Amino acid sequence: MTLRTAPTVPVRTRRMVDPVDRTRRIRGRRRRRTADAMIALVWASVAAAMTLWLAYGGLNTVSGLATALTAAGIVTGLVGTDLILVMLVLAARIPAVDRVVGQDTAMAFHRQLGKPALYLILAHGALLTVGYAMADGSNVVTETISLFQGPDMALAYLGLGLLIAVVVTSVVAVRRRFAYEAWHLIHLLSYAAVLVALPHQLSAGGVLADGTVQRVYWIALYVLAFGAIAVFRFAVPALRSARHGIRVAGVEQVAPGVVSIHLAGRDLDRLQTAGGQYAIWRFWTGATWWHAHPISFSAVPTASSARLTVRDLGTGSAAISRVRPGARVSIEGPYGVFTEAHRVAPKLAVVAAGIGITPIRSMLEHSTLRPGEATVLLRGSDPSQSYLWDEVGALRSMRGNAVFSMMGPRPQGLATWMSVEALAHGVTIGTVFPDLLNSDLYVCGPQSWIDLVIRDARAAGLPEDQIHVERFDW
Amino acid sequence: MRARALALSILSSAAVLTVGWQLGTQGQTPTVPDATATTTTTAPNGGSMSSAAAAPAPTPTAAGSSASATAPASDSASGTFTGTSVQTRFGPVQVQITVANGSITDVTALQLTDKDQRSVSISNRAAPVLRQEVLAAQSANVQGVSGATYTSDGYLSSLQSALDQAGL
Repeated sequence: MTLRTAPTVPVRTRRMVDPVDRTRRIRGRRRRRTADAMIALVWASVAAAMTLWLAYGGLNTVSGLATALTAAGIVTGLVGTDLILVMLVLAARIPAVDRVVGQDTAMAFHRQLGKPALYLILAHGALLTVGYAMADGSNVVTETISLFQGPDMALAYLGLGLLIAVVVTSVVAVRRRFAYEAWHLIHLLSYAAVLVALPHQLSAGGVLADGTVQRVYWIALYVLAFGAIAVFRFAVPALRSARHGIRVAGVEQVAPGVVSIHLAGRDLDRLQTAGGQYAIWRFWTGATWWHAHPISFSAVPTASSARLTVRDLGTGSAAISRVRPGARVSIEGPYGVFTEAHRVAPKLAVVAAGIGITPIRSMLEHSTLRPGEATVLLRGSDPSQSYLWDEVGALRSMRGNAVFSMMGPRPQGLATWMSVEALAHGVTIGTVFPDLLNSDLYVCGPQSWIDLVIRDARAAGLPEDQIHVERFDW
Repeated sequence: MRARALALSILSSAAVLTVGWQLGTQGQTPTVPDATATTTTTAPNGGSMSSAAAAPAPTPTAAGSSASATAPASDSASGTFTGTSVQTRFGPVQVQITVANGSITDVTALQLTDKDQRSVSISNRAAPVLRQEVLAAQSANVQGVSGATYTSDGYLSSLQSALDQAGL
């Protein structure tokens, strides 16, 4: 027996693929497949909206310009509504979507759909008005007045007005002029916009008449979209906050303008937070209750405690750093794909700058790393930014793994993420991470700095799947 | 978007659309009303239509279901029969049929959906199509006019009640 197996052992070990790497690759492939299927599902739902209209003989109504315009108006309305419902689903923070692509990617898609959806709805109104006016032999103004008197049509026009307000305030240039809270309040009107537009679809639109499959399908879509919002944005966070009874246990200054907030609560490990994730927090004090903030866990929660680290970047986070022990805290989350579970490559390369250290620290804490697997580069422009650095070096998972630091300001007038000194020594992303192409790259820091790191990584030939970034700018 | 996601999206959308296209074209295409046969479709503004003078004088009935048969029931019914007035959310719909020797010779819409100008224009479009279909099929088992679902449903159920009275 030993004679038979002994010679084969060395051959096998040489060929054997590391089981961890294999699992990662399989999981990565499965995630990509699911993500692709989700995208296909979105476009199939657009096709389904049109197909139901076709199946009910939509094309047979076309017999000339007026009816063609009317048909186009119906189709643009159906597709526009479908896209708006897709946007609601994307914003619902459905756990499956967050796990597969991450909420930030979902929201990027949500933003891309905004303007097309509005244009389709505007076209829907315009085409139908012109089409009806031509069919009735009246003009656009008379037709608009007549339409306005139709069943539930006043509400539909109100919905259109709200939709315009929501999209216009969300256009980047306009959004900057509003405080986040003001913008968010206006954005919440989109729920109202969609709901007040619903009655006219069921009554005035002969397309969704009683007893048709179309009516059932569309009502199901509405229930799905609003149900997802109600469950995952309202019910789950409310239940979770009540269940865990989180309160501020203490606030500790770790650097000028940077505080660690220690939280205490019941069964916090049951949140099943993965290192590197964030949650959206609301601190119930007089100065802070009206705004919620996405903040990363700077340590993996234990059963009774959790820790966040915040830098006072805006007026909101400055107020948060002054919260007192005992304040009640509610949580939405945890969310995020900046975790070990999303790795696809055998090695790990990490770059963190400033407050970007927080998700990096908890991600590394939660990772199982072999010696030599990870290389970490901590970046700060001056020593005041070296908070939590000592903790990273002390992590159990970092035993046998290298932690480098790069201190000093960036050179002026040159687009680089490195310090003047490092540049002078000829440091590149390739010299810091010699095995970069065989690694997952995790980057967190200020957005413009992240972009430069990624630019260099892409230039070095790193595939997109291996680039992991956490963005907070939504 | 990744190439596979793009391909998957195009394929699934195309498949879904093809099904819709098939169902839509298989469904019976509404017969285009013959221009010469539209004597009964001149609609006054109220939306209710009167039959052409050539038809036997219809007996207007109050919205109700009483049959105004002018001939005794026999093997081959003859006369005019008024269907029930069917309420829809765009107004009541009522039709009257003229029967000669057991076959429907004319359908007259006494009242059609007329809640607003839009409904009137939909009714004016749908009524001649429905009349043609009914005369061709000699029954209420005909395809409704798309885009005029409420009018069609009301029209056909009022028609069915008239057919029941006529014993057809």
